[in-house]
Amino acid sequence: MARRKESDRAQQNNDDSDSNPNDELEEEPDFDDPEGYEDDISEQDLMGDLIRQRPKETDGVESIVVIDGVPQVGPERIEKLQNVLKKLFQKFGKITNEYYPLNPDGSTKGHVFIEYSNASEALEVLKGTNGYKFDKNHTFTVNLLTDFEKYNDILDKWENPVPQPFKEQGCLQYYLLDQDACDQFSVVYEQGDKVAVYLNTQPEPSLLEERPRWTETLVRWSPLGTYLATFHAKGIALWGGEKFQQIVRFSHPGVQFIDFSPCEKYLVSFSPLADSRATDEPQAIIIWDVLSGLKRRAFNADKSQALPIFKWSHDDKYFARMGVDMLSVYETPSFGLLDKKSIKVQGIRDFAWSPTDNTIAYWVGEEKDTPARVTLLELPSRNEVRVKNLFSVADCKMYWQKSGDYLCVKVDRYAKLRKDKSDIKYSGIYYNLEVFHMREKQIPVDSVEIKETIQAFAWEPVGTKFAVIHGEPPSTSVSFYEVKTGQTPTMVKKYERKPCNQLYWAPSGQFIVLAGLRSMSGALEFVDTQDFTVMNTGEHFMATDVEWDPTGRYVSTAVSWWGHKVDNAYWLWSFQGRILKRVALDKFCQLQWRPRPPSLLSAQQIKDIKKSLKKYSAQFEVKDRLKMTKASKELVEKRRKLMQEYEDLRKQKQEEYAEQRRRRIELRNNVDTDETEGRGGELEEETVEFFIKEETTFIDE
Amino acid sequence: MKPLMLHGHERSITQIKYNRDGDLLFSSAKDNHPCVWYSINGERLGTYEGHQGVVWAIDVDWETKRFMSGAGDNMLMIWDVQTGKALGKIEAKTSVRTCNFSYSGNMALYSTDSTMGNPSEIFIIDVRTVDSSFSTNDPILQIPLTNAPKATSMVWGNLDEVVISGHDNGDLAQWDLRTGKKINLVSEHAKSINDMQLSKDGGFLITASRDCTAKLFDADTLECLKTYKTERPVNSAAISPILDHVVLGGGQDAMDVTTTSTRVGKFDARFFHLVFEEEFGRVKGHFGPINSLAFHPDGKTYASGGEDGYVRLHQFDPSYFDFKFDY
Repeated sequence: MARRKESDRAQQNNDDSDSNPNDELEEEPDFDDPEGYEDDISEQDLMGDLIRQRPKETDGVESIVVIDGVPQVGPERIEKLQNVLKKLFQKFGKITNEYYPLNPDGSTKGHVFIEYSNASEALEVLKGTNGYKFDKNHTFTVNLLTDFEKYNDILDKWENPVPQPFKEQGCLQYYLLDQDACDQFSVVYEQGDKVAVYLNTQPEPSLLEERPRWTETLVRWSPLGTYLATFHAKGIALWGGEKFQQIVRFSHPGVQFIDFSPCEKYLVSFSPLADSRATDEPQAIIIWDVLSGLKRRAFNADKSQALPIFKWSHDDKYFARMGVDMLSVYETPSFGLLDKKSIKVQGIRDFAWSPTDNTIAYWVGEEKDTPARVTLLELPSRNEVRVKNLFSVADCKMYWQKSGDYLCVKVDRYAKLRKDKSDIKYSGIYYNLEVFHMREKQIPVDSVEIKETIQAFAWEPVGTKFAVIHGEPPSTSVSFYEVKTGQTPTMVKKYERKPCNQLYWAPSGQFIVLAGLRSMSGALEFVDTQDFTVMNTGEHFMATDVEWDPTGRYVSTAVSWWGHKVDNAYWLWSFQGRILKRVALDKFCQLQWRPRPPSLLSAQQIKDIKKSLKKYSAQFEVKDRLKMTKASKELVEKRRKLMQEYEDLRKQKQEEYAEQRRRRIELRNNVDTDETEGRGGELEEETVEFFIKEETTFIDE
Repeated sequence: MKPLMLHGHERSITQIKYNRDGDLLFSSAKDNHPCVWYSINGERLGTYEGHQGVVWAIDVDWETKRFMSGAGDNMLMIWDVQTGKALGKIEAKTSVRTCNFSYSGNMALYSTDSTMGNPSEIFIIDVRTVDSSFSTNDPILQIPLTNAPKATSMVWGNLDEVVISGHDNGDLAQWDLRTGKKINLVSEHAKSINDMQLSKDGGFLITASRDCTAKLFDADTLECLKTYKTERPVNSAAISPILDHVVLGGGQDAMDVTTTSTRVGKFDARFFHLVFEEEFGRVKGHFGPINSLAFHPDGKTYASGGEDGYVRLHQFDPSYFDFKFDY
């Protein structure tokens, strides 16, 4: 039939041109086939390209999607269902056809066919609605119609996939089994060309592993210390085990920042330059599963957002990001939005997870007549467990205590506000510290007012104290406050005029290092906050970083090449501020202690250990002394060897010197200068008179 | 003890040297007149007037009769120590960077800079007959360093048979005087060698380099024996004549000094154990890098000359002699 049509059409065209009244042209010869002419060329040869474009029955089949998991409803509710579904699926493109298969009794069968105007729209639907939670009991499964064909075509003969050989990872936690519980630390130097991992043994740290070009910029330990992450132009690699072999690789071109979830289950990598426009798939932020190495979800990044963009809850269950007027909380392992929608928070400025509970603290700025407020939001219930309104707020900063017992909100408040077109100018700024007692009923809030500028704030990680640096540099003061139940925090100690700008608490509390970094030339003060004795003061000139080891026994200070171009070195101190080791490395960049997971001991066990500390410490001291004497013995041994070698050489030299004595004397006109150097008897004594002082005495007549 | 501060120069010190007896100290600076001082009390005896440029290098012969100075005015001048009169002068094509009397005092060497298309050159001259016609004297030996790094520091080798030159790129070369050929070359330093000094018996050689290290060499074989590491360019190093100690001086480059605090500069004189390569003491004082260091021949005093224009004479405290390393 098609052939007929086509030849008819050709005929018609010819007729048209014939009928065209055009006298100037000569009459065209007749191209028509004679009657009864049998074409010996097949149409396929003649116009194969046209035939190929002929519509087929299966055309458009790829723009059909099949949705399973649709509620089964009786005939009376079909229309309603259709409306709801239409609304949902219209978003993705123009629906040209839809079909609801029905049971004989007129109820729906629970699946729906929808045809779109083109295949790309169908793909969109697949992406957007596969796994869509329609309601509590119904989750959609969406497939392309063509998929069915694909699965039908699967070969009958099934080849079992060859199982991947099991890769022995070794014990990733081996570093915790160190006999003396020495900690490891990583050192990046020579501008990032070299990375070394040391074990902090006394008196000399011992080198465990050193590799050139291990990373391209820096390294990071995972939060529990299991993995060492290295940065490369193509992505991130994780290393671990005794030999630091590669565990897993994440390919993410241009990655610059990473963030582990607190339990190390997931890794967030951020590549600020990744162009997401090239493909529809977001490229900038990728969340990976650390164990399997698989990509879990990708996100786009807003340009101006502060890092980290995603903040994790303490148990890896949730992660959240802030948007304009909303807070998006995602849950794992589905990586979907919690309850499918973001939390609307008008004017949200910042948020922070509690380090021990699934509670988010966020604050919103002032808006016309509504005051600023800090809200504690419990998840996943979304209960606002505490709301605190604050007035005349310029800015807020939230500090969780590491044990999650307290939250302190530093509020910058103003006395006067002047609006200058778009600029807002605050004057008479003063500071309030609002302390939330998280472990008490109703979460009472206490407040401390500080008149001076606050330079730094830090909670004691375990305990009830916090420290504040306030005042204008260089005449800053440091104050310590104690938080008590139902009382306003009381100041327990104030150090006037302490030149420092950073506070570093020991991970187990009690001890703190007050540091004046960078512009304050690296002054260090080691303070015991139990009785506020200054245990020691020190200085690491131009220090840029201070870091405690995970057990709180040692402190490292560093002058990083990133911050200061000369004298790059790291120094190790005891927690009392005794200098142990100075290591100068060319273009040293970074020192990081390998973290430890939290202790598995119960509170009672720790208490028992503390009780019998005296017994243990005696043992340890003996061990330490042994090590020191062994080390000094080794050193002396080494020196003796060096001296021996040198003495041999010198002896040889002296013999040669003695042999050449005659020739030397000849050279100096037969004057023996070898002997006279000690100012021997041959030298004649010479008296030199020096003018020392002049005195004029007037003598009366 | 409080050091003696000798302030007779208006510009930065370039080199200081004791005579063999140790009673006199000679100093040169970037001003035009080298000075001579009593080392016992720091009194200035006099100056040698005649140069018209930076005096880069000086030396005195073993009898303390003749004094030699090489300067940026392309002149090498030989003086009578006692009277301060110029005995003779040689005009070079470029500025004279180093000059040394031989062990015998009969010969001297000097080397010139490579500038304005002229290569750096090493000259050996006879100084026995010095008079006004001296300048026309041909050198005994002339070694042009064409297409080679310039010589920055020189010393005489054993028995006046060889000379050792330190170069701009850190190379050390040994030259045979009889043939004028290079007989040995070692490249242990990464950057320019600023200074070389021999031990008392001439068996060892210490080099000071811009690569922040000083190294001890066997003066005959040029085998590198020890390395003393610091964080700053080393401008000068000396070996104690009585103890197994070396002293290193240097500091941040003079051109960077004004931009940072003095504490960044590290202008201390630093004492290392000769054998163990361990630092055991520092002497503060200069407020610019140290350019030249010298031990008194009796080993009880040392002198340092700095970019700040001061020469400081330090007498060692008894504790210096009491200090012993365990071995």
